[in-house]
Amino acid sequence: MFKLKVTDAKLLRDMATAISILVDEATFKIEPDGLKLRAMDPSRVAMIDFEWPKTIFEEYVCNEPTKMCINISELLKLLKRASKDEAVELSLDDKTGRLQVKITGKYSRDFTMPTLEASEEEVPTPKIAFNVKAKTTTQGLSQAIEDAQLVSDHVRIEADPEKLVLNAAGDLMGATITLQKGNDALLELEAKEGSKATFSLSYLAEIIKAASATSDIATLEFSTDMPIRIDFQQQKEGKLTFFLAPRIETD
Amino acid sequence: MTIALKVPQVASSDNWLVDVIKQVNHSAISENQIATRTSQNSLCVLCKGSRNLCGKTRCPIMVKVNSFLKSVPLMSSEDIAGVSPPSVFIGRIGYPHVYVGPLVPPVHEDTSLYDLPEQWFGKSIDEIVGFRSLLVRGKHRVHVQEFAQAGKIMDQTRELALADTSVDMELNLTKKPRGSIFLSDDVQPFGPSAPIRDLHVGNARFDHRVEKAYYDTDLKSAQAVVDLYNRGVMVTKIQKAFSVGAFGIEKKRRLVPTRWSITAVDDMISKSLVEQVKTFPEVNEYRVYESIYLDNVFEILMIPAQWSYESMEAWYPGTVWNPNGNSVAIYSDWEGHNGRTTYAQIGGCYYSARLAVCEQLVKERRQATVIVLREARPGYIMPIGVWQVRENVRNAMRQKPYQFKNLTESLKFISGRFEIPLSQWIIQGKLLRNALFQKRISDFFSVSTAA
Repeated sequence: MFKLKVTDAKLLRDMATAISILVDEATFKIEPDGLKLRAMDPSRVAMIDFEWPKTIFEEYVCNEPTKMCINISELLKLLKRASKDEAVELSLDDKTGRLQVKITGKYSRDFTMPTLEASEEEVPTPKIAFNVKAKTTTQGLSQAIEDAQLVSDHVRIEADPEKLVLNAAGDLMGATITLQKGNDALLELEAKEGSKATFSLSYLAEIIKAASATSDIATLEFSTDMPIRIDFQQQKEGKLTFFLAPRIETD
Repeated sequence: MTIALKVPQVASSDNWLVDVIKQVNHSAISENQIATRTSQNSLCVLCKGSRNLCGKTRCPIMVKVNSFLKSVPLMSSEDIAGVSPPSVFIGRIGYPHVYVGPLVPPVHEDTSLYDLPEQWFGKSIDEIVGFRSLLVRGKHRVHVQEFAQAGKIMDQTRELALADTSVDMELNLTKKPRGSIFLSDDVQPFGPSAPIRDLHVGNARFDHRVEKAYYDTDLKSAQAVVDLYNRGVMVTKIQKAFSVGAFGIEKKRRLVPTRWSITAVDDMISKSLVEQVKTFPEVNEYRVYESIYLDNVFEILMIPAQWSYESMEAWYPGTVWNPNGNSVAIYSDWEGHNGRTTYAQIGGCYYSARLAVCEQLVKERRQATVIVLREARPGYIMPIGVWQVRENVRNAMRQKPYQFKNLTESLKFISGRFEIPLSQWIIQGKLLRNALFQKRISDFFSVSTAA
């Protein structure tokens, strides 16, 4: 038996949007203390680590830990039918294995959708010693990424104790975006040593765009030629973190 | 037949091609059956077909001249009777008012091979140019959307396109067919043509599968194409029927110029195959398939990863699409897992190669990231159509692949096969660079110092 309820459909919709960026079929871990998901995208370049404690929900019932796999873009289609202040209730029917999506507000709608075979894969967290930690506004970060996208499809992120620099070099054009300590967009910066790593802009842009609906503050952590960890601080409790593997160009 | 010599400002003594033709067949010139057109900045004038100044291994113009001269005596009449393979041609010049008409060789035997690229693999350029230049093309102007009311010539041409086997027919032209030999060499081999006065088509047998789709006026054209393919109708047969507006919702049917129809059908079929491919497990190893035909070298790399596709081609200086360059030109286009929405820059071969690789993946029930590398060498002296790419890649897929444990080894193998250095391919190849440089998150699960 599993059941959850939120009073604002937007919360659930933004969550599903953020997940759908990387995964098509999402296997959620349903535990008595909350909802969890950790998964890699099919090309195994990026990873999402998501946790929502039960306190976020209006109502949360879970008698025993279980797994539920659903097609996240199908769920998203249903959630898009709900307008802002409508309540959404998800419940899993143990007998039929179907997920019931109930949207109530101006009138009430009951959808059902199938669940899929849950993935058995346990995804660990990458073990990385991060040398740089930068806290930015999500909006500022998103703008900087859009700037870089004008000239290239990947970006080198560099940091020293004073600044965070995004360097993009395309075939013809180049761009350097600097976030200095004291800039509005850069809230905090700690760099144990100068570090730089290159990442795919299409991944970065999609992740940040999708997560920005849920968060105002993003924390970047990285080291030279290691994956970057981007944590989006949630408005309520809960965790939404992405990892993205670097590009390492050698000759 | 007339091979028209279009020599507007140049005195005929300057036109070396005239001299060459006169030596072989004087009457063809005097009867104004052959047209040649000199291009201004052409090396051909200096070379006159003898010294290969363009860098190709043989002179493409001489290949055309030879086969034209062989077919001239067969076509010196306004009435052409013969057996159509069957074959039709829809031009693209003047769209939406295009030239439509059948292709008929003055030959009375089973000609089905003349328009069946599936059977051409392995034939030499001379053979292909040889029978292509026998095909007399009748021309009749029709608006692409108003073909249903266009009259007998259009109706019979459409019937011909749907026929399953060779059809006896007679073509009455308004004048003797004229063929052009251009002194520039980038024009596809083609027989002579003339406007149609009338035509008579013998009894044609239809492929019942194609016929069913033709009479189903509620079936969308893309669905019709995919259904026919799945029922085993040959790709080039579908392309032919598609070009005469035989599929689709009744009101939306239209003629599609032959060139466009070929790529449209390749695209529609391979798109549906890609959707299947994406549901299959990944291949287990790095594979390289290869095939060489008409001096086109294909090396096809399959990487164990989710479906994505890149097609790259390198043209030597002096080859068909790089006539004046001093260096090798490499072009590339690609699509990610979710496909593409714009037309690939490199053109039709992108789609016909995609079709061929998907056929193999579906057969094996596997998916992979596929990178098709093509090196066109100077022996590829003239363009002969995208069927060459489709059949060449299909041939590669029929071979047993070379298998490798990692990307480095497979690339090393490929660089041994190509004359163009690997580094040049890597600069241009988006997916190739991704495969080389983009790390995976799973690389960082165990050792924290891994790079």
